[in-house]
Amino acid sequence: MVEKYSIRTEDLDLHYDAFKALSNVNIQIPEKTITAFIGPSGCGKTTLLKCFNRMNDLIANCRITGKIYVRDIDIHSDIDVNALRRDVGMVFQKPNVFPMSVRDNVTFGPITHGVKKKSDLDKIVYESLHNAGLWNEVKDRLNKSALGLSGGQQQRLCIARALAVSPDILLMDEPTSALDPISSGKIEDLCDELKSRYTIVIVTHNMQQAIRISDYTAFFLLGEMLEFGETEEVFSNPKNKKCENYITGRFG
Amino acid sequence: MHIQKKHTKEKFFKALFGATAILTILEVASIIVFMLYGAVPALQKIGFLNFIFGSEWNSSNYDTYTGPMEGLYGIMPMIVGSLFATAGAVLVGGTIGFFSAVFLAEFCPKKLKKVLSHSINLLSGIPSVVYGFFGMKVLLPLLGVFSENGDGAGILSVSLVLGIMITPTVTALSKTSIEAVDRSFFEGAVALGARKERAVFKVIIPAGKSGIFASLILGIGRAIGETMAVVMVAGNNPIFPSGIFASFRTLTTNIVLEMSYGGELQTGALIASGAVLTFFILATNICFGLIRNSGSRFKGKKSSLATLATSYTSTDFTEATKAEGLLDLQTTDGELQNSQTFNNNFLVTSKKTDKASLIGKHMGTVSTIIACVSLFSIIIFILVNGLPYITSELLFGEFSYAGTPSIASSIVSTLMVIVLGSVVAFPLGIAAAIFLAEYANKNGKMCKIIRLMSETLGGIPSIVYGLFGLLFFCNILKMGTSILAGGLTLSLMIVSTTIRGTEEALLMVNDSLREASYALGAGKFRTIRKVVIPNALPGIFATIILGISRMVSESAPVLFTMGASIKPMPTGFKSSGATLAVALYALGREWMHINESYATACVLIILVLILNIASAMIASKFTKRLTCTT
Repeated sequence: MVEKYSIRTEDLDLHYDAFKALSNVNIQIPEKTITAFIGPSGCGKTTLLKCFNRMNDLIANCRITGKIYVRDIDIHSDIDVNALRRDVGMVFQKPNVFPMSVRDNVTFGPITHGVKKKSDLDKIVYESLHNAGLWNEVKDRLNKSALGLSGGQQQRLCIARALAVSPDILLMDEPTSALDPISSGKIEDLCDELKSRYTIVIVTHNMQQAIRISDYTAFFLLGEMLEFGETEEVFSNPKNKKCENYITGRFG
Repeated sequence: MHIQKKHTKEKFFKALFGATAILTILEVASIIVFMLYGAVPALQKIGFLNFIFGSEWNSSNYDTYTGPMEGLYGIMPMIVGSLFATAGAVLVGGTIGFFSAVFLAEFCPKKLKKVLSHSINLLSGIPSVVYGFFGMKVLLPLLGVFSENGDGAGILSVSLVLGIMITPTVTALSKTSIEAVDRSFFEGAVALGARKERAVFKVIIPAGKSGIFASLILGIGRAIGETMAVVMVAGNNPIFPSGIFASFRTLTTNIVLEMSYGGELQTGALIASGAVLTFFILATNICFGLIRNSGSRFKGKKSSLATLATSYTSTDFTEATKAEGLLDLQTTDGELQNSQTFNNNFLVTSKKTDKASLIGKHMGTVSTIIACVSLFSIIIFILVNGLPYITSELLFGEFSYAGTPSIASSIVSTLMVIVLGSVVAFPLGIAAAIFLAEYANKNGKMCKIIRLMSETLGGIPSIVYGLFGLLFFCNILKMGTSILAGGLTLSLMIVSTTIRGTEEALLMVNDSLREASYALGAGKFRTIRKVVIPNALPGIFATIILGISRMVSESAPVLFTMGASIKPMPTGFKSSGATLAVALYALGREWMHINESYATACVLIILVLILNIASAMIASKFTKRLTCTT
């Protein structure tokens, strides 16, 4: 069977003004897997992540050359960027729930994309929260402000919110870095469950986390992808010397 | 898969918001064009030099552009009068304001500080016509005792009234810039052995001096453009002021005194003096802008001027003040080294200079007491004299030209003006602010021009709006003196404050919320409508209330455009009438209805205080909520 790729890049370069943040990135991310991006701070992993749903459009001085394909569609061709972001969901480093009720947080996306019927919305609320492992904790306070949730709950609400628009791909930018170990564990378990239905790309500083949850790992340094392969292979037998040094803790 | 062709809705809204923002440029341009259009024929007839440098003003309302000229139109006495009045006001208000700010920021007990700061902020909203009324009823008889001719009106009375009027503004802004100075400077100075007073006056204040300077310039702007407070206490003879008790006119009062019955050439000359006034104000504002932008040394002013809470400006503020403060610390270091070479003389030097700093500290206490006493005595005096006379007859009585006056028609006119002004100004201002905060490229030329224009609009004195409204709405659009013309004029006046307030509220919404919404595939317009605006709503609401409060308190712009005396109940927007502030002016200048004027002043003060307290409460709740979110 020919492997299907959710995301593919060809000779991707990215500049902030004169600064080259990504150079010549060629990556192929297989469908329904978890891919971890690792590397020291400022190596370009979050920047690359934000390329996949064109969040970098929001940065004025950012210039991209090369191609990015999401499911074989060139995302810099004449497409609706909002629809792209519907297909490629994102969870941020710091939980950023809207100051609205739990329910309104989840329904914001679906309503944006035209879901109107209350029964449909109720179903989405239940499924998303359930899939995010949050349903039992919030079912009695759906109409209360989401700001009252704990940090871990807020982050899982953000995941539920992202799931509610039924994306194919989920981008996670260090989703557990602001959380306590128990909450982090819950989110890791969640990723594992979600893998059967979504392609997940996760940026992490935590190499144990990468080993625990990911199928593939990409190592970045100074804007270049130096190593990409199956996680076990990358961590046990890295081909790139710098990658080995990073993994064995000699820098970063 | 949902990826599909993009739609054009987004572009439409961007264009719509952009268009409203461009309207601000149009507004400034048309004010300038129409002022020139009114002024140039008169200047040609009178002669530019004769007009500016002429030392006699003796207008005749029979003069026309074509016939022979009987009157004399030299505005030099008024220019000099304006300059003296402004200088006096800054001397009084600047000194009291500065030292009060030092006291409040550094030496005031914490509990007292909160109360005093809030009340001084509220007092900055008192309508200027109330200051004038107080000056006329209380200050003039008091000063008359010391005056040779028994009349207290003149430079001294104007300086005191304007000085007290600008004190809250100067205090609030100076306090902000003193408090914004990095505390490590203070700690550094104290660690060197300086006493608290010395640390404050030698390190903190020099580090915050750019912001303090800015607050003084803003005070100058308010004083030079003020009309109604001055006209009631200046005596109003169009001659060079010859002493502190000599009657005189300023540029603004000259306009308000003669405009309503002006002849053809006379009106032109008054509009020309409005243009001169605008020039003065714009020159002040440009100086202010230049100082603000001249290198990092003065960057701090930006954040002291913008409301305290905008977080991003405060970062470059700290950097700027750090740079400044370092210089000052170095000089302190220098002094220290010198004194060490002279065998530990630092202690001696410090004792010497402590004297000056100690005096400064006491000045702070005294100034705060003066400021509070005078500001509160104005309110209390007016409440005590007016409250007993707020009768149902005054508030709801039938209008009659004879007998006891009723302000019922004024209350209705005020409400109608507020509604009209709000309907025009707030949608425009809010849409323009959305463009500036959400769409425009912050460093782009377009954005800079619009912001400059919006700031310019904020600096134009209210009486110039009145002149413009008279020319444009009343005469050219043939609305006549009407509530319609008055409401439109007021709406032009509050557009700039609406833009600024709304923009600040929008910028306070955390960017991570925008990102989250975009990441869910919401478009820009949807993000603004569903995420940004709901979160900024309390801030926008506070801005709207402040705008309404300004429409209630201003009198100069509506005096020419909707009438200067109390009229029968309006029958529609075409009717003329006086707003409450104008009614106070009209009543106050006739000694016959003294009790009714106190009562009207009461109604005005209570109304404005309620609006301002509401606005402040909403704004502070808003800030608290947003800081919780982040």
